Amino acid sequence: MRPRASVAGPLILIAIGVLFLLHTVLPNFPIVDVVAQYWPYLLICWGIILLIEISVRAIRGRPLPTSGISGGGWAVVVLICFAGLATYEVRRSDNWWRRVGFEHGMEALGDEHDYAVNSLQKTIGKTPHIVIDAFRGDAKISGIDGTEITLNGHKVVRALQAREADFANQQTPVELVVEGNTVTVRCNQAKTGVRTPVTTDLEISVPRGASLEATGTEGDFDVSSLSGNVDISSDNGGMRLEDVDGNVKIDTRRSDLVRCTNVKGTVDLRGHGSDIELEKISGQVTINGDYTGTVSLREVAKPVRVENMRTQMDVEQVAGEIRFDRGSLNAQNVMGPVKVTTHATDVSLDGFSGGLELSVDKGDVDLRPGQVPLGKMMVHTRSGNIELALPESAGFALTATTDHGDIENEFGEMLKQRAQGPGARLEGAVGTGPELNLTTDRGSITVRKSSDEGAPAKQPAAQMRTQQAAVALNAERGIEATSSFR
Amino acid sequence: MNNRRALFVQAVRGPILLVTVGVLFAMHQAGVLPFSRTWPLIIIVIGLLKLIERMLMPQIPAASAGGPTG
Repeated sequence: MRPRASVAGPLILIAIGVLFLLHTVLPNFPIVDVVAQYWPYLLICWGIILLIEISVRAIRGRPLPTSGISGGGWAVVVLICFAGLATYEVRRSDNWWRRVGFEHGMEALGDEHDYAVNSLQKTIGKTPHIVIDAFRGDAKISGIDGTEITLNGHKVVRALQAREADFANQQTPVELVVEGNTVTVRCNQAKTGVRTPVTTDLEISVPRGASLEATGTEGDFDVSSLSGNVDISSDNGGMRLEDVDGNVKIDTRRSDLVRCTNVKGTVDLRGHGSDIELEKISGQVTINGDYTGTVSLREVAKPVRVENMRTQMDVEQVAGEIRFDRGSLNAQNVMGPVKVTTHATDVSLDGFSGGLELSVDKGDVDLRPGQVPLGKMMVHTRSGNIELALPESAGFALTATTDHGDIENEFGEMLKQRAQGPGARLEGAVGTGPELNLTTDRGSITVRKSSDEGAPAKQPAAQMRTQQAAVALNAERGIEATSSFR
Repeated sequence: MNNRRALFVQAVRGPILLVTVGVLFAMHQAGVLPFSRTWPLIIIVIGLLKLIERMLMPQIPAASAGGPTG
């Protein structure tokens, strides 16, 4: 009797079906992200199911198959590996083939032919709405005083023959279409075929009051001095925005850099990309997407929300800087309540107020609140060390627990320490203050007194002092500190 | 009896290999250890399984010829 086929095949089919069903029923379900991250578990599940089946057969004394997986089975395994790795690579914005310039290699068919774009000028209102659609190339848009829109630029056509290039150039004139308050910059690039791609680089100056709506397929956007809203989406390219009074919305499929400086409205970023730099933002900031490079936020006056595959973070205000790098999160001088959930990331917070809720899956935590009074803290890491430095003048009620590891305490007698199996627990209160709760499943905890440079310097009075007085003060404190150690 | 054990190891070889490959890729994806550093483990696992199979095989090859069906 031929042994029955394995149950693994149908189960895997059902799993894949459910995954796609989730995608169709819930449009927000990040199927690509899930597949890219978890596809190896499909192989593991398959292997385990087969192992169980074969073991059951062996125990019951039924005939065993000569091999657990047939040749066809292995072909499917290889296929899954390729598909999984492919989704993973495609999703990353700095993958090897982009770094090697593979894409450019594909494009490099034929020669580049340069053409000038006739300069255009039109008088429009003070607050027009500028639309750039399906644009390929670099665009520099800057606001100026006046009611005129001026456009300059040049075109690059890639073609095998000069005749083809000329034809492509004629087919893709740059036009300014005015309809009421809306001005559309039309480059007609879609009119040529893939054999003769046209890249148009534009320099557009518009009235300062303009708002902008642009979609690009490739190329950088450089926007400055606009008082309206800016809404850009791009498949591939960098964004630089400066001095924008309105709200900014940027959607990128893939970008090397998104930089916004001096925005008075809200900033809303989503999609995929590499680096993000936000500086001097007066409105609320929302970052939702997968950015693999360095994400840095500086001087944000309103609440910030960052959400990506690894991390979820909420902060009320950023006076200093927040910086996400690969596997690390550093924040300096932020106002809370701060809420962070992250995995595989080391977290370091230096100078924060208004309470903290921090949950780390795997990573070290380094906290220096720096100022009194403290806020309530709930800190948990599954695997990693926690270090907390508190100002000497701080009042608090501490509970620190580690399941595997040691606790180091600089506050002495006021906190009671006891061993708990392979771990330890530290409990007690210093003065009166909020609850501080630190737990790690595996790792050490250090609670120490911070050197007191942080806290008093933040008081306004300290800023009024002359440099000399501050130096003298520090020297005094230095002596105090050393004498207290004796 | 030994022959049946050898057959079991032979049957289980594929699934074990599959799980190994899956675990290595999972570790690669989670950023624990890159696959470029762990792939030799696959060869080692294949070698080990072959070795166990060989040890469990009966000494005389002729005896195994009619064995499996019984």
